[in-house]
Amino acid sequence: MSHAGLRMSTNEKEFIVAAIREEQRIDGRTPFDYRRLQIKFLKEDGSVEVQLGQTRVLAVVKGEITQPYPDRGNEGSLAIFTEFSPMGDPAFEPGRPSEMAVELGRIIDRGLRESRAVDTESLCILSGRSVWSIRVDIHILDNYGNLVDAANLAALAALLSYRRPECTVGGDDGQQIIVHPPEVREPVGLIIHHLPIAVTFAFFGDGNFQVLDPNLKEEEVMGGRITITINSQGEICAVQKGGGVGVSASEVMRCLRIAAAKAQSMTETLKKAVEIHEIERAQRKIRRHPNLQNQIDTASSVPNPIKKIEVEMEETSEDIEPKQALDTERGIKDLSMSDSSRMKSTETEVAETLTEKPSRAGGRDLFAGGESAWGDDVKLTPLKGSPGTRSTLFPLDSDALVEFDVAARAVLRGGVSSQRMSSKLVSEPLQRQISDQIAAAAVYANQTSPLISEDARPLGPIFPRVGDMDSTEESDAALETKSVSQPEGTPVNFYFSGKKKPKKRGGSGRQD
Amino acid sequence: MVMAKVEVGAAPSLNVAERADGRSASQLRPLSLSRGLLTRAHGSATWSQENTTVLAAVYGPKPAAMKKENAERAIIEVVWRAKSGLSGSYEKDAEVVVRRSLEYIILTALHPNTAISVILQVINDDGSLLACAMNAACAALVDAGIPLNGLLSAVSCGVTHDGQVFLDPTKPEEQKCKAYVSFVFPSRRLSAVPELPADVDGEPVEYGILTSVTRGAMEVEEYFSCVENCRAAAAKVSEFSRSSIEQSLKGNRDGC
Repeated sequence: MSHAGLRMSTNEKEFIVAAIREEQRIDGRTPFDYRRLQIKFLKEDGSVEVQLGQTRVLAVVKGEITQPYPDRGNEGSLAIFTEFSPMGDPAFEPGRPSEMAVELGRIIDRGLRESRAVDTESLCILSGRSVWSIRVDIHILDNYGNLVDAANLAALAALLSYRRPECTVGGDDGQQIIVHPPEVREPVGLIIHHLPIAVTFAFFGDGNFQVLDPNLKEEEVMGGRITITINSQGEICAVQKGGGVGVSASEVMRCLRIAAAKAQSMTETLKKAVEIHEIERAQRKIRRHPNLQNQIDTASSVPNPIKKIEVEMEETSEDIEPKQALDTERGIKDLSMSDSSRMKSTETEVAETLTEKPSRAGGRDLFAGGESAWGDDVKLTPLKGSPGTRSTLFPLDSDALVEFDVAARAVLRGGVSSQRMSSKLVSEPLQRQISDQIAAAAVYANQTSPLISEDARPLGPIFPRVGDMDSTEESDAALETKSVSQPEGTPVNFYFSGKKKPKKRGGSGRQD
Repeated sequence: MVMAKVEVGAAPSLNVAERADGRSASQLRPLSLSRGLLTRAHGSATWSQENTTVLAAVYGPKPAAMKKENAERAIIEVVWRAKSGLSGSYEKDAEVVVRRSLEYIILTALHPNTAISVILQVINDDGSLLACAMNAACAALVDAGIPLNGLLSAVSCGVTHDGQVFLDPTKPEEQKCKAYVSFVFPSRRLSAVPELPADVDGEPVEYGILTSVTRGAMEVEEYFSCVENCRAAAAKVSEFSRSSIEQSLKGNRDGC
């Protein structure tokens, strides 16, 4: 497996092989160790840069609406393009893809597409007419060995973080597709059933010495290579051993077992990285407008907060520019009133009214969505601004409250199509943090002005947990906010519901 | 604030006084430069103008292909890789523009029969892409140690439908404005050849326009106004890139 452009002396080559026989690797790793992995999510959804040791790969996911293949009318398509950019290696020539590039593209393609990791049926908009076509571009930025594993991870991470605009079918004939811009409706993620992880081994000697994740120099001297694409459930999605030294079946089995274990840990790492990214994404949404950030900052630095914050909010609400600002009471009330009539209409009509809305002042129609389940019982004024400024008792994170606002808004916005709301919007620990803080704020607020009137009905938990749209009783109980005692000793239970019809979620902690 | 009603056929209005990210008309986005990120490339640099990021890699001087090599000077090859999709005419055009600008600063006569490759990868495009790429390419050349007779500083600006000029447009601003232009100015403190005068006809060499690429139609006066604004901004860009490079080089020297 020689590599044009990398010239190694015979001494160096022999040293590497001799060391591996002694289970030593030139970079100090053990034979079955991966190099340091860094997954960096870039600013745009669906762009990820993965660094595996010194190998760098960039993956970009893009979607567009096209016509489906004639024999697969109700399925979208997923295409993977690998580009061996001349940046990654002096031997890569621009122009026709080399053998290596084609092989890499095929391995990733088999692992992702043919194993049906990405659900293509959910990409269908109009059967036989329009479907989403997802395109993954993989750019090799720096080749320092084992491009397959790095590229596969990059493609997976990019697909997990990609969000496509939501679209609905409407129009007079029911054949018109309305694509909602991200400001109007939250873009939705792809449905990914499982994560196929590629694990590559290099063989040395007579095939009886294997190492995992070969780097560039090891690749130069290896006798053969095998790539196993396997998911965390132990299902083999693809195996590629293209020529090279012959290896006994028992050695291959050994590699398979190691690959299964590595796939599990790699999946964990990937999922964790995606989760952190999701939280940052939600936070970034509110920070998008610098003026808003200033408001938050000034609010939190003011010593005597209550009245002043309310005044500030009122003033600034006049010149809100299209952004997810801390919304005003008015906005939510508007929503309740105008949407109750809309609730009866069909989904298509709702979509149309949504698209007509942009002419309204200030872009407050970011807030389009279903009926507010909070009703008139909940006063929102005390919730505006940072609870951290109101109370010195609770060192609260102002970000969390604003995130809650964003999340609430997203829930309310998606009220009509709540099934499609991304359940990955807010993760579990964040949900709990937010619920705790709301409860704390509520207690404090109740001491000054009652937040909920006597006959308010407590509702169910606000958003579904990550990956679990239909919460079970146990999970609901877990999400139940702690009862916090008021000075008089009467417990205050504080619940929220973001769902359209809380009644359907029976057993969700309602107290009648 | 009442949002302007958009009439069909009328040009979408772009209010320079209230830009989406709160900048003024003459404010650039925050710049950032990091060099030496790639291991295989001889030189590499990432230049970011807030959300627009371009990664440039340089290989060279290396042996040139037989049919391309020039016995008198090094040849410069530029490859522009878009973020997604196949390379089209925009990429080819950008490659030519970058190559011609770099031919001005690279001392090609020092390395005959060789090739210097510059590869540009668009990481994210949020407006001012060409300017960002040019700055990245220049920094990558420095990182690779290619002999240069000066640096480049590139800035872009747009013109609204009512004739206002604003610097460093973002992608939405580029789409809404009447026209936008990218300028590349040479950036040099000392003349590489001390005998030659540092100015031409009374104007410093630095003030000359090396490259100018416009998109859309604008009036002559507006164009000159753009030149003035961009010149001032280019001085800032040049200052930033120099200090950034000097700092990292200083670090290297101490480490040795």
